[in-house]
Amino acid sequence: MQDDLQNIKNQAIAQITDCKDLKELEQVRIDLFGRNGKFTLYSKEISKVSPEQKKQFGIILNEVKNTLNKLITEKKNDLKIVIREWFDPTIPPKKHKIGNLHPTSIVISEMTEIFKNMGFSITEGPEIETDRYNFELLNLPMDHPARSLQDVLYIEEPEILLRSHTSSVETRSLQKLKPPFRVVVAGKCYRFENVNASNNAMFYQFQGFALQKGLSMAELKGTLFSFIKSYFGEDRKIRYRCKYYPEVEPGVGLDLDCQFCNQKGCSVCKGRGWIEMLGAGMIHPQILKNFGYNPKEISGFAFGMGLDRIVMDRFKIKDIRNLYNGDIKYQ
Amino acid sequence: MKIPLNWLKQIVDLPSDVKKLTHDLTMVGHMLDKIEVINGEIILDLELRGNRADCYSILGIAREVSAIYGTKLKNLPIIDIKKVNKLQNINLKVLTPLVKNVEIIEIKNIKIEKSPKWLSSKLTAYGIETKNNIIDLTNYVMIETGEPMHAFDLEKIDSNLEIRLAKTGEKITTFTDSALNLTNNDLVWANNDTVLSVAGAIGGKYHSVSNSTKNILLEAANYDRANIRRTVYRHKLLTDAGIRHEKELDPNMVGFAISRFLYFIKKYNWGEFKTEVYSYYPKKINPWKINLNYNYLNKLSGLNLETNEIKKVLDKLQFKIVEKNKENLTVLIPTYRTDVKLEEDLIEEIIRIYGYDNIPANTLSLEIPKNITPDYILQEERLRNSAVSIGFDENISLSFIKEKYLSLQVNKNNNVTLINPPSPETKYLRSSLFPNLLESAKKIIDDRGKLVQLFEVGKIYLKDKGKYVEKRKIGFIYRSNNKNEFIYFKSLVLSFFDKADINNPLYISDILDLNFTNSYKLRLDKQEIGWGGKYGEFYYAEIDLDSILNKEQKYKINLWPKYPPQIEDLTLVIPEKTYIGEVISAVKSVNQLIGKVELTDIYENSYTFNIEYQSENHTLTDKEVEVIRTKILSSLKSKFGINCNG
Repeated sequence: MQDDLQNIKNQAIAQITDCKDLKELEQVRIDLFGRNGKFTLYSKEISKVSPEQKKQFGIILNEVKNTLNKLITEKKNDLKIVIREWFDPTIPPKKHKIGNLHPTSIVISEMTEIFKNMGFSITEGPEIETDRYNFELLNLPMDHPARSLQDVLYIEEPEILLRSHTSSVETRSLQKLKPPFRVVVAGKCYRFENVNASNNAMFYQFQGFALQKGLSMAELKGTLFSFIKSYFGEDRKIRYRCKYYPEVEPGVGLDLDCQFCNQKGCSVCKGRGWIEMLGAGMIHPQILKNFGYNPKEISGFAFGMGLDRIVMDRFKIKDIRNLYNGDIKYQ
Repeated sequence: MKIPLNWLKQIVDLPSDVKKLTHDLTMVGHMLDKIEVINGEIILDLELRGNRADCYSILGIAREVSAIYGTKLKNLPIIDIKKVNKLQNINLKVLTPLVKNVEIIEIKNIKIEKSPKWLSSKLTAYGIETKNNIIDLTNYVMIETGEPMHAFDLEKIDSNLEIRLAKTGEKITTFTDSALNLTNNDLVWANNDTVLSVAGAIGGKYHSVSNSTKNILLEAANYDRANIRRTVYRHKLLTDAGIRHEKELDPNMVGFAISRFLYFIKKYNWGEFKTEVYSYYPKKINPWKINLNYNYLNKLSGLNLETNEIKKVLDKLQFKIVEKNKENLTVLIPTYRTDVKLEEDLIEEIIRIYGYDNIPANTLSLEIPKNITPDYILQEERLRNSAVSIGFDENISLSFIKEKYLSLQVNKNNNVTLINPPSPETKYLRSSLFPNLLESAKKIIDDRGKLVQLFEVGKIYLKDKGKYVEKRKIGFIYRSNNKNEFIYFKSLVLSFFDKADINNPLYISDILDLNFTNSYKLRLDKQEIGWGGKYGEFYYAEIDLDSILNKEQKYKINLWPKYPPQIEDLTLVIPEKTYIGEVISAVKSVNQLIGKVELTDIYENSYTFNIEYQSENHTLTDKEVEVIRTKILSSLKSKFGINCNG
């Protein structure tokens, strides 16, 4: 009886090997394993076998079935390779146009994300401002020496101007918001500048401020260090020094190590080895008083930085004019 | 401020390592700008601080060095003088309260000569040209003490001298040979009708010291800072004197500077004088008290300073403690520290000398305030992403438009303009995002690009009923080589609305602006939300962001219907100049069982529409569909004169 099985097997192997196409192979498979196939019929003989031989018979049947099935699969693959139509996956496609965000938008959302995680909200304010919000309420009265650093673009002198910094949003927020609050603002600012590779009449600032009981220089330092390390890298060196800004007291200047020269001094850092990154400090008591707060009861901090320089470094752009003159070629 | 190291060394001991010195100065607030070496001399250039008038001097920086290292200042020799009410030749009248303090002294038999090397080399190192010993000495004392001074030729001025506001139209020729037309806000020294010098800023050509001068009148003064500042900027007189007087100088430095000047005159025998000055100092400024609360200091600084540490720092700063108790100190502030007026100023003094490096970096772990980000900011972020997802690139442009695009301003009569533009290119604020997008689009075409898909999110600026208005907009500019560009552009804009979860707006043909052909308005929920049109080869659409704020249908999803639709094609013969959009709306309004209505083919005036009929609760029968179809056809017939073509 096992000889019969052997014959079926040998015959099938020969037939499979001789097959010329998939159709023929499928016919061989049906002749073997179909409802009336040779193998199918033969395997039904198992019912006639004595109980003690049944196990052995089953094992042999399975072996033959597996061998033939494997052969059929292999043959099928062989035939497929032979008959596959010519196909060229290297052909270049016409790509679907995808959209891109502007580098400044990318940097703003990256930086904002970090501050969101520290409990900051986002805010904005008008760009056409009054002297009051842009200067007066910020402890920068008329004829303050620090005003000469910010030559303003006027719409109606001396009252209506284009904001020269995002600090105007600080005064607006102090007026509108109830503490405790933490906000950041990223926006366009304007100054009287002769346009060149590093100055433009319009530029972006990124600013943040917080008003909350218990805030001190230590929380300010922690916030800034945490931001700098997240955004610029854990290994960056930070110089945290005293600096004067009329809007804050005490005031802070924060510098980062110059990576262009490894702090040896180069044209980027003007030989200093450090790059000035941001200004900060505790909100000036006069400003708090301007909005009805008692500086002994509640305190706040503020920080601000120029955004374009950071964008330019990030995207290796050398000329600030390239950012806002439609010079960016998106792929 | 330029600090020649050799000069600084005469007043205070310095660490041998220059790098250490500049680092420490930087940390306490005087950032090193650069180090220069001129004729073998090291010169530090420190960043100037607007509030530290005292640090526009070698003495001021020496005090800082002394405070950092706790070293004593060396004595600067002076000659003691007494104050009198009248000088021998000159009678001074001060005619304005803008003068806070002034001293004058006559010095006779002046020997004008070339400056000795110790003097000329210091001025050269600082960067001031040397003239002669007397002029150089006024500059030397100014740089050393921070107090500007001026010497008149006594023979050339009249005995009746006054300090007053100039009369409008009065003129002066400065010693740098520029002619100034003065205003009645400029403070001057004058003889009757002759202006001798612009107070605090610059001397006149004809009354200053020259090589033939025999006798001089030396003056030093303290003025109202703001007034001098206005004059300095009005006439562009950013002189060494001007940049000092526009800041808050110590009035008591006037007398010290004169005494210091006389010390050198006597030492080098450059002239003769009686030790008498005429002094006008109506309201003497004395050191003032500031109360310092320990608890407030530590609360604001985040430090935990002990009383003795605070005292140590105050001692280094030469701030005297006049009273103390468990909670407070009362500190006497020297008059040269005109910047220290508030308790917070004093706190900064203490922590900067104690060291900003010692402030801990605390995590912001206080109660987290609630999120107050307004909807419109989140909207802009979402819309940017929606625009990117339909394949548009973001443009950010200046808020100004170039003059050549002025005719493209949408609201031509309401332009917002600058009165002091840095260039003609930045005079006009934009009233549409179009001109700058057009400029960016042209760059793509110039670079032989074929496809333009740019957008910008930004503000436009208008004047409306005398008020300045900023409006947030999104603008799309489009161009391609496709046959029916408008339909492609429209499909992208509508996809933008889909992505933003906002219903598609209606396009309503309308002539808006002669610059644009094929123009239309966009309407959503009966409100106008934007407009669009064709300009040359470019298609443009601009949407007002406040009009679509909060129109998003968030968290809305559709499930596949349970019962299949009945689908059929209707070919309609449509008369010319019929808006197809209106035909489709008319079809849809017939019955709510009509789902999609899609235009699938146009042949001459035959339009084929694919129409789906679908019910939520059963499969529609042919009979039901027929009833609806009949209604559609009769409605179209009556509204548009449309016939069915089978």
